[in-house]
Amino acid sequence: MSTPKTLDPPPASLAEPPLRPPVRKVRKRHRSWRQAIRKDWQLYSLALLPLLFFLVFRYLPMMGNVIAFRRFRPGGSIFGETWVGLRYVKLFINDPTFWDVFTNTLILGGLTLLVCFPLPIVLALLLNEVRTRYLKRFVQSVSYLPHFLSIVIVAGMLMQILSVDGVVNQITNALGGEPTAFLQKPEWFRTIYVSSEAWQTVGWGTILYLAALTTIDQDLYEAARIDGANRWRQTWHVTLPGIRPTMMTLLILNIGTFMAVGFEKILLIYNPLTYETADVISTYVYRIGIVSGNLSYAAAIGLFEAIIGLTLVLSANYISRRTVGTSLW
Amino acid sequence: MFLQSRRRAVAVAASALALTLGLTACGDDSEPGEELSANRTGAMENYKVGDQFKATEPVSFSTLLLNNANYPAKADWLFWEELKKRTNVTLDQVAVPGSDYEQKRSVLISAGDAPLIIPKTYHPSENAFVSSGAILPVSDYIDLMPNFKDKIAKWNLGPEIDTLRQSDGKYYLLPGLHEKAWQDYSLVIRTDILQELGLQEPKTWDDVYTMLKAMKTKYPALYPMTDRYSQPRPTGNLYNILGSSYGAPGGWGFNHATWDASAGKYFYTAASDKWKEWVTFLNKLVAEKLLDPESFTQTDDQARSKIATDKSFVITGNAQALVNDYRADLAKNPKAQLKKVVLPIGPAGEVNPASRLENGVMISTKAKDNKNFVAMMQFVDWLFYSDAGQEFAKMGVEGTTYTKDASGKYQIVDSINVVGLHPKATKHLQKDYGFYNGVFAYGGKPELVQAFFSPEEQEYQKVLNARPQAPWVVPPPAPFTDEEREQATLWETGLRDFVEQQTLRFILGQRPLTEWDKYLTELKGKNMDQYMELQQKAYERYKKEHG
Amino acid sequence: MVALDAIRRPNRRKRGIRPSRGRRAFVVVNALILTGVVVVTLYPFLNIVARSMSDQSYIIAGEVNLLPKGFNLSAYDHVMSDAMFWRNYRNTVFYTAVATAVSLVLTTTYAYVLSKKHLKGRTFLITIAVFTMFFNGGLIPNYILVTSLGLKNSVWAIALPNAISVFNLLVMKAFFESLPTDLEEAAAVDGLNTYGILFRIVLPLSKAIVATMVLFYAVSFWNSWFSAFLYMDKQELFPVTVYLRNLIAGSTGAEMAGAIAETDEAQVDATIKSVTIVLTTLPILTVYPFIQRYFVSGIMLGAVKG
Repeated sequence: MSTPKTLDPPPASLAEPPLRPPVRKVRKRHRSWRQAIRKDWQLYSLALLPLLFFLVFRYLPMMGNVIAFRRFRPGGSIFGETWVGLRYVKLFINDPTFWDVFTNTLILGGLTLLVCFPLPIVLALLLNEVRTRYLKRFVQSVSYLPHFLSIVIVAGMLMQILSVDGVVNQITNALGGEPTAFLQKPEWFRTIYVSSEAWQTVGWGTILYLAALTTIDQDLYEAARIDGANRWRQTWHVTLPGIRPTMMTLLILNIGTFMAVGFEKILLIYNPLTYETADVISTYVYRIGIVSGNLSYAAAIGLFEAIIGLTLVLSANYISRRTVGTSLW
Repeated sequence: MFLQSRRRAVAVAASALALTLGLTACGDDSEPGEELSANRTGAMENYKVGDQFKATEPVSFSTLLLNNANYPAKADWLFWEELKKRTNVTLDQVAVPGSDYEQKRSVLISAGDAPLIIPKTYHPSENAFVSSGAILPVSDYIDLMPNFKDKIAKWNLGPEIDTLRQSDGKYYLLPGLHEKAWQDYSLVIRTDILQELGLQEPKTWDDVYTMLKAMKTKYPALYPMTDRYSQPRPTGNLYNILGSSYGAPGGWGFNHATWDASAGKYFYTAASDKWKEWVTFLNKLVAEKLLDPESFTQTDDQARSKIATDKSFVITGNAQALVNDYRADLAKNPKAQLKKVVLPIGPAGEVNPASRLENGVMISTKAKDNKNFVAMMQFVDWLFYSDAGQEFAKMGVEGTTYTKDASGKYQIVDSINVVGLHPKATKHLQKDYGFYNGVFAYGGKPELVQAFFSPEEQEYQKVLNARPQAPWVVPPPAPFTDEEREQATLWETGLRDFVEQQTLRFILGQRPLTEWDKYLTELKGKNMDQYMELQQKAYERYKKEHG
Repeated sequence: MVALDAIRRPNRRKRGIRPSRGRRAFVVVNALILTGVVVVTLYPFLNIVARSMSDQSYIIAGEVNLLPKGFNLSAYDHVMSDAMFWRNYRNTVFYTAVATAVSLVLTTTYAYVLSKKHLKGRTFLITIAVFTMFFNGGLIPNYILVTSLGLKNSVWAIALPNAISVFNLLVMKAFFESLPTDLEEAAAVDGLNTYGILFRIVLPLSKAIVATMVLFYAVSFWNSWFSAFLYMDKQELFPVTVYLRNLIAGSTGAEMAGAIAETDEAQVDATIKSVTIVLTTLPILTVYPFIQRYFVSGIMLGAVKG
């Protein structure tokens, strides 16, 4: 458990039931399967249905990925016609545009992660400081409204606000500046995308953290206060460590999936003038797909992204385990 | 069993012979002697042009149905009932929301789960499914479709049909057929402003420039023209109609390779001088602040807003946009008058750049194994291509939903509304009766196609119908093989992206037009030459193999 | 002055009567920030509500802000008078309920199992789940699978293929791991088996996270349209999201606008678009306040200390 190390946690040590046999820890490594099943059969039984789900609905269709290495014809066999080996892999590796969009994906994903990961935490902490319950609930309920707006609406709003006679330009005009066609300038795209992502996700992201905050032992705050900590230090030493498992889990997961940037939103607000910063792998593959219906190519790229994602998760997990002790595995 | 296989062997030999004979006469598609006796259940013996198709026993065919939000399918439509009465056919519908029709169709065909009849297919969407054999090479079976053949012969649509052919010489789509090319999109102009400035309606694009200049002089703070249709690619409509007037259409009408009849070869559209000319024209408009630079990236709503608030006076659109969008948006302004002017003329002369083909029907290969296959083909022929069938699909039942006077002019009965003809009526032809449904009713003679057109629109069509067809609209076939297509489509995406990007940069002045030659060199770097080589090779190969 | 003294002499400090200057400044800043958040997130939504009740021409002219202009409810009437709309709405509620229940059961049980660090094969079980976050089979194989299992045109086509979100699974696992083990051990000693511990001890302690998962899954299924679009062949089976998506996006997907134009009367105006947002969002928005009361501390220290 992530009890803070700087304070003496009375409850945890008190909670140690005297009956616990110390031998258990030593035996853990050498347990055979027979013993494990006999001991934990109930746990295994609980895992049966979910495992069935994974097997049938996730792993079975995964075989379809074989079309990344076979020629697929729409309407023909779903596993493709003939083996073509690394043909499609070579196709996208040799495509300079692919590497451009790959870079864009990395940059956009990275920026989004950098900005949108801490914001919900900050907002959750700020909300936590609000004493009035109704106010707290009101702000929180309002803050997640953007999550429910469909991407089409959000894109429409964005384009409206950023148009030459939209709100943003009206403000710059009032301040004496020249109007800018933001959506036609590649250098603005990243800012626009990340800001709109932040706006859309910050409120929804706080839900999890607020739930996590409820699991923090309130007595720890009391103990901290007695020890002389003001609200800041309480936050640092009690709150943050209290939500650390949630934070780290989310961080690892977000690192793993950071390349899955918002396909639909980009599709709606980009245009040829902003391709150089806005075009990402998914939009590029989409444009190719419209013309060709070439699912093999898409599958090959999909595998490439999957390998990267998996590697990232494993690395993040390893680092997290070494540094703070929380990990997925 | 033995008898059947013997008969089959004879039939195969006969058709092989016929094929070799048939190859020398290109244009003769049907395979005489193909054994279809197992599929004739329900078919009419002597079905010919002008006959009412009626299956000899009740049959049902599965069909994909695009569900249009404006008139969602209802089980009690008179359309279904009357269809069954007249043809003895029930359609087993697979409903797909119109918002994502293409995707679902693609999934269904790829998964082998497609219904027998797949309508609402635009060429070249069917190309992707050809090589797998999932859809039927319908050209082999048009002998079963007398009305289809008749219209092609009557309206000289042979060359148009040829543009649909694949590398095996067959075509896989039954397209919608129009006797006269229907051109719909043009410039929509505030005629009250024209009056105010004492201007005439522009006839050529140079006239358009002069008009915009005059508007700008009077209203220097505004952009006289704005535009829409920029999702997903910039001003798909403007690039198309303007480019067509110069002989190098862009936007919606863009093809990488355009046919040059005089030179006898294909040229890369976006590298031609004609392309440069209209790009220069647009660049002039933007540079002199006559055309709103946001036109190329804004949403349709933003564009409409500018027209509605008098920020601009000129936009592009079709008849429907004119009535439903612009006029409706300006309803509160009694002074405002809008008109869709006749398509302006450019260096390519007075041409009608529209095609006489439109979306059509694919048939799943599974249909061939169906015992009612022949009946199905006859049914499709009757509903989509016979005069009676087209009239039925669009107008409904004579006496109940429409009347026809002696001159053949159609009149919808007063109690039924459609396209705003009888606004006070309580019933709607499309919503309540199921007729004039985009899935079934399209194409045909001008009298039918233009039946609901307002008088002003009919005027417009009269002028456009009189113009000869643009020469590049019906190029000789140059289809790719499956292998070639895979490579070509990858090049196409790269080329198209680059073209759109640079074209827009040139137009907006972000890139000086003096760099045009550099742009041409960069195009070469995007595999333009290889692509054109492939295209030319495909053309020559097809010519050699199929005449 | 008094406040500073209070910090230097902790034992004499009275609780919370005089916040420090720093604290007050913080409260003000906090209030400003949160107000900003409210404005920025509430305004667009209010704008949409206003549009849904305005006259189309004012919307196009860009004159509608927070209040409706040309107030009329005709768009609501238009949408809500369609029987299919209500039919689809009922479908949405039904699908969401079933799918959320299935997801919750599967996710909770698996997360609990995974949280047991002593379990042999745990790493393998986790890997199975994480792997599927990145690798999936693609549209066609999934479609064929669902079709061959005979799930098409039924609620199971929506509930089963996406039953477990690995993201939710791992978050829940982290929560279970953070619970003190003492309670479970005490219960084990008292004779409860694993099932008992899960249902009688762990779940009641985990109200917050379970509530959160209900919310996450419910919202996700409520808003989803793709599964239904893919696996349902009849209009009557669509959820309301498909209905509304069709209404908004219309047939504007393809670049070929010409031929479609003839038979489409564009009635889908800006007002209707806004109405659809309001109608689909409102119900699910009201779910959260009910969920919120489960966001209470789940730790009952009394049981532990005793």
